[in-house]
Amino acid sequence: MMRIAILAALLAALWLSGCAEEAPPGETAGFAGLGQEAGEFAQAHEDIRLSFPDDHAAHPDYRIEWWYLTANLEDESGEPLGLQWTLFRQALTPPDERPEPAPWTADQLWMAHMAVSRGETHRVAERFARSHSGQDDGQAGAVAEPFRAWIDHWQLATRVDTSDEPGDTFTELQLTAHQDDAHGGFGYNLTLVAEGPLVLHGVGSFSQKSADGQGSMYYSQPFWRVEGEVTLDGETRAVSGRGWLDREWSSQLLGPEQQGWDWFSLHLANGHKLMAFQLRGGGADGGDYRSGTWIDPEGEPTALTPDEIGMTPLATQRVAGREVPTRWRLEIPRAGLDMIVEAPHAERWMDTSVAYWEGEVIARDAESGDNLGIGYLEMTGY
Amino acid sequence: MLTAFATLLSHYKRHPGQLAMLLLGLWVASALWSGVQAINASARDSYARAEALFTTGLDRLERRDGEPLTRDDYLRLRRAGLPVSPLLEGSIDAPDGTRLTVIGIEPFTLPGDSDFAAAGTAGELTDFLTPPWQTRVAPDTLPALSVSHREAPGAEPRLAEARLPPLILAPRLPPDTLVMDIAAAATLLDSGERITRLVTAPEALEQAPAGLVLTRAATLVSPGQLTESFHLNLTAMALLALAVGLFIVQAALGLALEQRLGLLRTLRALGVSGRGLVGLLALELLLLGIIGALAGIVSGVWLARVLQPDVAATLGSLYGADVAVTLNLPWHYWLGGLAVTLGGLLLAGSGVLWRAARLSVLGLGQAQAWRSGFQRQLKLMSAAGGAVALGGLALWLWLAWQPPGEGLLAGFGLVAALLLASALWLPPLIALLLAGLGRLLRRRPLAQWALADLQLQLPRLALAMMALLIALSANLGVSSMVGGFRLTFLDWLDQRLVADFYLRPPVEQHDDIHAWLAEHSEVEELLPTRRSEGTLIAVERDADTRELALPVGVYGITPGSALLPSWPLLATRAGRDEAWKAFAAGEAAFVNEQLAIAEGLAPGDRIGLTAPGGEAVLPVAAVYPDYGNTRGEVLLATPVLARRFAAPPGSIGIVLASGGDGAALRAGLRQHFAIGGDELVDQREVKRIATGIFERTFTITRALSALTLAVAALALLASLLAQARERRLQLAPLWALGVPRQQLVTVQLAQLGGAAFVVGALALPLGTLLALGLVAVINVAAFGWRLPLHVFPGEMALTLATAVGVALAAAALPATKLWRAPPRALLAEEAT
Repeated sequence: MMRIAILAALLAALWLSGCAEEAPPGETAGFAGLGQEAGEFAQAHEDIRLSFPDDHAAHPDYRIEWWYLTANLEDESGEPLGLQWTLFRQALTPPDERPEPAPWTADQLWMAHMAVSRGETHRVAERFARSHSGQDDGQAGAVAEPFRAWIDHWQLATRVDTSDEPGDTFTELQLTAHQDDAHGGFGYNLTLVAEGPLVLHGVGSFSQKSADGQGSMYYSQPFWRVEGEVTLDGETRAVSGRGWLDREWSSQLLGPEQQGWDWFSLHLANGHKLMAFQLRGGGADGGDYRSGTWIDPEGEPTALTPDEIGMTPLATQRVAGREVPTRWRLEIPRAGLDMIVEAPHAERWMDTSVAYWEGEVIARDAESGDNLGIGYLEMTGY
Repeated sequence: MLTAFATLLSHYKRHPGQLAMLLLGLWVASALWSGVQAINASARDSYARAEALFTTGLDRLERRDGEPLTRDDYLRLRRAGLPVSPLLEGSIDAPDGTRLTVIGIEPFTLPGDSDFAAAGTAGELTDFLTPPWQTRVAPDTLPALSVSHREAPGAEPRLAEARLPPLILAPRLPPDTLVMDIAAAATLLDSGERITRLVTAPEALEQAPAGLVLTRAATLVSPGQLTESFHLNLTAMALLALAVGLFIVQAALGLALEQRLGLLRTLRALGVSGRGLVGLLALELLLLGIIGALAGIVSGVWLARVLQPDVAATLGSLYGADVAVTLNLPWHYWLGGLAVTLGGLLLAGSGVLWRAARLSVLGLGQAQAWRSGFQRQLKLMSAAGGAVALGGLALWLWLAWQPPGEGLLAGFGLVAALLLASALWLPPLIALLLAGLGRLLRRRPLAQWALADLQLQLPRLALAMMALLIALSANLGVSSMVGGFRLTFLDWLDQRLVADFYLRPPVEQHDDIHAWLAEHSEVEELLPTRRSEGTLIAVERDADTRELALPVGVYGITPGSALLPSWPLLATRAGRDEAWKAFAAGEAAFVNEQLAIAEGLAPGDRIGLTAPGGEAVLPVAAVYPDYGNTRGEVLLATPVLARRFAAPPGSIGIVLASGGDGAALRAGLRQHFAIGGDELVDQREVKRIATGIFERTFTITRALSALTLAVAALALLASLLAQARERRLQLAPLWALGVPRQQLVTVQLAQLGGAAFVVGALALPLGTLLALGLVAVINVAAFGWRLPLHVFPGEMALTLATAVGVALAAAALPATKLWRAPPRALLAEEAT
């Protein structure tokens, strides 16, 4: 998934947080930021072949990058919970303008979001940090071997002990994050075990984002089995469920006319997974640009072309003062799917520096109403 | 109408002296008022900017052992989930010698509430974070950098050591402060991995992480609070000056009206309506007011500019508050100054307008009619004085129930009530005195006439006398306080600073240096100190235990033989010797006066104290004075503080052996430990600095108080001049009866001199009472400690002499006129 990112917008938002009269961040200034020219940054393109575990780490030569985890969980009484943990990176300078490493100099800016939701309750936190790409002992960072992505005490790190033999450390991770707040604090401590392979999107993991060929490097691990504890408003519960991790990096993601996107990641009951998104306003004829990946239970991906995806908003709800579509029709004829995808709780607004909607959804068959699966939906630019 | 107005004003053409007097009064009153307000406004602006700075209002973390924190400490704490932010602070010298504070911040982790975005500009964060970075600076710092306002944005001024990152103007930053990214500051200050401190949002941490000391923002008093009393003092002074200046105006206006009564009647007879006449007079007032106020404001700003460097230096050294040396005046300052002067003028002129409105067209010279109600007025004054005095008493009772440190405004209210009540009682008192004396001197007709005549003059002189009384008492009160403060403070400095040198060695060298000094033959005794932050958690008296959580400073001193006899104690339980014995043995603590007053502590109570590293319950053996300190403090013997609370080593007092050579010791320290300069301070130097600070503070107070007195003298002069002509009317019959002019002049001088003497004599107890109010009420409310009251007979004699001198000087001019008046004129007076 590509998702928010827009660290450029975040920069502006953070800087202006004291000035209420400024335009709300993440709208005009925000998403236009992704449309900037790449300058002297490295470019994503079709011929790049990913290599693991190296590509789990940060790519500081690219402008932006993220480690984006969502999970649909249940507590012991079967009550559903959702969580999100995202680490964003943005390069402050192109590689050739990087300052010499010194104790506080920085060429990378990091931002992380975490959210826990249950019923009507939705708790959100964010953090910022700086680092220098020449040093990996900073306040935030992401290294490949052994895998660790962190900001302060929030971290996603391998549980695999590589002291005896080196190997893929990305198969079993520990996610820990906690935030104190006025409600008693929230957070999680979870074990993630990969039950399937990594999935490369697009053409050899180059995921095109508009009709004119711009795009990003994009792979996912959609097969996480998640176990552990989630704390919400000071109350800790044992939970289990499924997780989906997106990895994406690029130097230029959106065309100048693209204003936002709608992004689905679904775990279907039959073991299939579906990733589908549309960028509003980036299509060949000025319409929306759609793309997606149909993943079979063994992790074999099938890239979906724009005309193989139907995506129609059916109903909106008023959330945080905006009209947000929380009920969609999603059609993938190639997979025989005609679904109604709906957010059971609309109050999933991420009231962060750059605000967006991110929450759990339930997929049902459009005709029979049978439950087909669960997943996450992200919507920006509303 | 225009003609009528011109006719009215033509009076001043014939009497330019009156015009001058009126304008002088307005000018002086508004100059003092606006001068002080300019200083206050400018200082408040500086405080507001200082408080808007992120460094204030945040809790601070520092290492317990006094070593600098590093980036690793910061990262370690962040990874433990603590919301700390690094701050790098240092100073660099501008080309013109100004010391500039460099503050390096980490904008991502800096707590948001104190956000410096609020102090900022809409720059790009990326430009702030990446080379060549940015320097945020307030416009009034630019002169120190030799950069003009126009060329400032983006300029990269060169300093001795390095070039500053490009400038960005941030008007809300405090003066002489450069704010930049921590990476830029680290480069500029060459500080490597070191940081000055970690900061967190207030109360974000429940306790300090191991090895660190947490100082709550609440215990770091803001400069605005601290300096409140200083500014209240100035304001009170300025109000006094304004009031006294308006007395002059009142007298001059009264005179101008009195002399124009005929003219006014003529104008009325010529068909100018009464309302029109009042309107014209009001217009005249407004015109005069605007001229006077503008002149006053201009000179006020000039006065402020002259005093401002002293004020800034005082506030800087007393409270650590950075105040801009240059004035920075908001628009409402100008408007406010004008409004206050005009308002005052209207108040002073309302009587004149009222009288003009009731002017009867045909009535002949009822100029004296308004005096008939004077007896009633005296009764009213007594009653009003009584009411004000009752109000003052109520304030005093209320203050007695307030915790110390509260009720500063009420304290000033009390002092004001005292002054006002005395002033109101003055005319009735003098009237009573005159009546009594008149009865006594029945057999001496001239003396009796003089008394009766003075009684007749009283209504006119009353206001001027009241002004004189207030000015004299204020002057005496303030100089007594200043003098007392000076004596106490210098004494206390002498007692406190017993060592010849004070050495602040680097922590890692502390033990070596201590050992080296102990061996050194020049050294008689070493008095090491330590310092820590603690919390007072319990106060036990008899069987009662009261729990609390009060942050206090914990200070360790060495009760050596040099220090012990001189260290002042205010109260002990069983004498000095017992107290010091218990103190040295670590069985007792001392508390400073501030803490004793604030928590009602007395020797014999027991206090529970926690500090990083330990907890203890100790009896209070003594209370000691601690002038200048704004916080509660607990005093322990240094070894006790080191042992029980693991406090880091602090400075070492060095007492030289008799005949010991300070220069040799200094050379030895430099040679062995490369220590000298800032770390080693001569006691004489400390005293010199402290006295310097002190003198500066009171220069301002003294200057203002002397100016007030001068204004009061002017008021008296104006009153006397106002009635000089009438006086001749009164004196002419006496002359005609055969009293020689010389005697008439003497009588006049005796009348006024006597009256002024009475005023001066009354000012003595009142001034003393005022001084008492200042040291025992206002000082306690402002600082939490009390000054002993000192009485200075010299000052008192001077006050009395000033009163009489002022009166005689004021009487001299009319007297000379009388002296020189040709008999023909006196005859003419009689004729009218």
